[in-house]
Amino acid sequence: MSKPAPLIHPRRTLVRLRYATPKILATLFALLLAAVWIGPLALMVMTSIKPNSEFLNGPFALPIAPTLEPYVKVWEGLKFGVLMQNSLIYAATGSALAVGLALVPAFALSRFEPPGNRYIFALLLTGLMLPQQTVLIPLYDMLRWLHLFDTRIGLIVVHGVYGMPSQILILRGFMTTIPRDIEKAAQIEGATDFQIFTKVILPLAVPGIVVGYTLNFIAIWKEFIFALVFLNNEAIFPAVGMLKLNSDRYISAFNLPSAGLVISQIPIAILLILAYRWISSGNFVGSVKG
Amino acid sequence: MASRMSDERTSFIAFARHHIFVTLFGLVLPVALFAGFIGYPIVYTFYLSFFEWNGMAPTKKFVGFANYAYMLGDKYFYIALENNLKWLVVSLAFPVVLGFLIAYAMRVRAVYLPTLLRTAIFFPVTMSLVAVGLMFLLILNPIFGAFDSVLRALGLGFLVREWFGDYRIAIYTLAGVGGWAFTGLPMIFYFAGIGDVPKETFDAARIEGAGHLRMMLRVALRQLRPVTAVVVMLTLFESLKAFDLIAVMTKGAPFGRTNVLGYLVYLESFWNSRFGYGATVSVAILVLSIAVAALLLGKLFRGAFDV
Repeated sequence: MSKPAPLIHPRRTLVRLRYATPKILATLFALLLAAVWIGPLALMVMTSIKPNSEFLNGPFALPIAPTLEPYVKVWEGLKFGVLMQNSLIYAATGSALAVGLALVPAFALSRFEPPGNRYIFALLLTGLMLPQQTVLIPLYDMLRWLHLFDTRIGLIVVHGVYGMPSQILILRGFMTTIPRDIEKAAQIEGATDFQIFTKVILPLAVPGIVVGYTLNFIAIWKEFIFALVFLNNEAIFPAVGMLKLNSDRYISAFNLPSAGLVISQIPIAILLILAYRWISSGNFVGSVKG
Repeated sequence: MASRMSDERTSFIAFARHHIFVTLFGLVLPVALFAGFIGYPIVYTFYLSFFEWNGMAPTKKFVGFANYAYMLGDKYFYIALENNLKWLVVSLAFPVVLGFLIAYAMRVRAVYLPTLLRTAIFFPVTMSLVAVGLMFLLILNPIFGAFDSVLRALGLGFLVREWFGDYRIAIYTLAGVGGWAFTGLPMIFYFAGIGDVPKETFDAARIEGAGHLRMMLRVALRQLRPVTAVVVMLTLFESLKAFDLIAVMTKGAPFGRTNVLGYLVYLESFWNSRFGYGATVSVAILVLSIAVAALLLGKLFRGAFDV
């Protein structure tokens, strides 16, 4: 801030302290707040590595004899390997479908003013705000009619289409920030819309696609209502859906559900670390603002 | 009106002729998929709300407005509606306000270690609400729960309640847990929003001697109207959609006192096999969301969504 002083001035230190004090107090408060958010997660991880007897004796004590036994039990008992694989398939392909479907519409809405685009935005908002429970019955009927009930494809298609509206908004917001000079030049050279889309827009939209895909991946990973209603076969269940199904079964032992939760959250945590720079800065926010 | 419609139609044909690729994959395909998978289910739900159907019988019995009449006299419908409103109030008061305060504190560098705070608060946004619900079932457990113990350790033992058992506070417990998981979202929105406000605006206010309170109310919030519009919309939809936590934590107990509309639909349709009535409540949710969204978009946030 200021020029380095040749001598450490006692008064300057005091002044500095006076300015720093509110910040220190605010930080203490912030740490307290952070503890409220980290505490439950830490407790969950701690519970998941304790034998049940130890949990009953001291629910909040640090583990005396940490064990991975709850993880092994949950992994084998619920076939978590299969569940995680299923979740991965749904989240990866469902998001790919959602983003894939959303790319050209986002391009259309960011670059052209197609007639009737007000109605398209109204549709997009409807898709965003629709509570899932209200469409379960018709969707269930429809999947049966299409012979897609209780199949992976059926669930993936539903996730893809329901992810599309938010992806269109996110990608459109991103694409509007791409400068138009390059495509103007391409247009003068006689490039078609398709060429501009694939050669100019798509390569520049990659960061937006990554953010959109990541958010959609997380959304599908979290979801369980569609899975519970549209699937019967537990062999193709996603992890979170199974946790919900089992939440009533082993309520007397807290370490097992905790271990299940931790496992189901690990892929998301990894994804978040990888994409953190983009997501937490809120760069995707501009897109939703319209 | 009619001429405007036909205007739009002719200009659409002209547009389609010039931009075949964009029209097909950018407009026709998504609208068709929307119509099939989102539009049709909405219409079907509306249709079903005029019938009595147990979900299995081959024929549905037309009952006219009987389901609607029943709904308007249904005690549980009003409890659920009231709970949705309570949920909305809690969500606006706790996660939205707190999210704004944290975002502001981080942007004006009022705290050290802003990244730690931001990460800690954002992480639960990515968590499955099933996981959040199971986690807080443990934390708020009357015997093994950490929350009561912390209260007692702080000498606040008199605040300890039956968090899920007491019908007067159970819905607030649920909404509070929902708020815990939701706070990161408004925080990130405001964080990005305040970042977009020109620094000079804040500097000018500060030179004029504005304190943090005035900076927040007079400068930040005024500049952030579009962000607030989005955040309020999202909060509103979240509150009307509330379902997951209730399905995991209380299933509407005690005495249906933690029912919300979303859970009532599920309960009536899939547990009581009254699909017609379930559809009727669905229609109520839809009408409610559209009405409030239109009100917000039209009145409070005019010009906030420039689409």
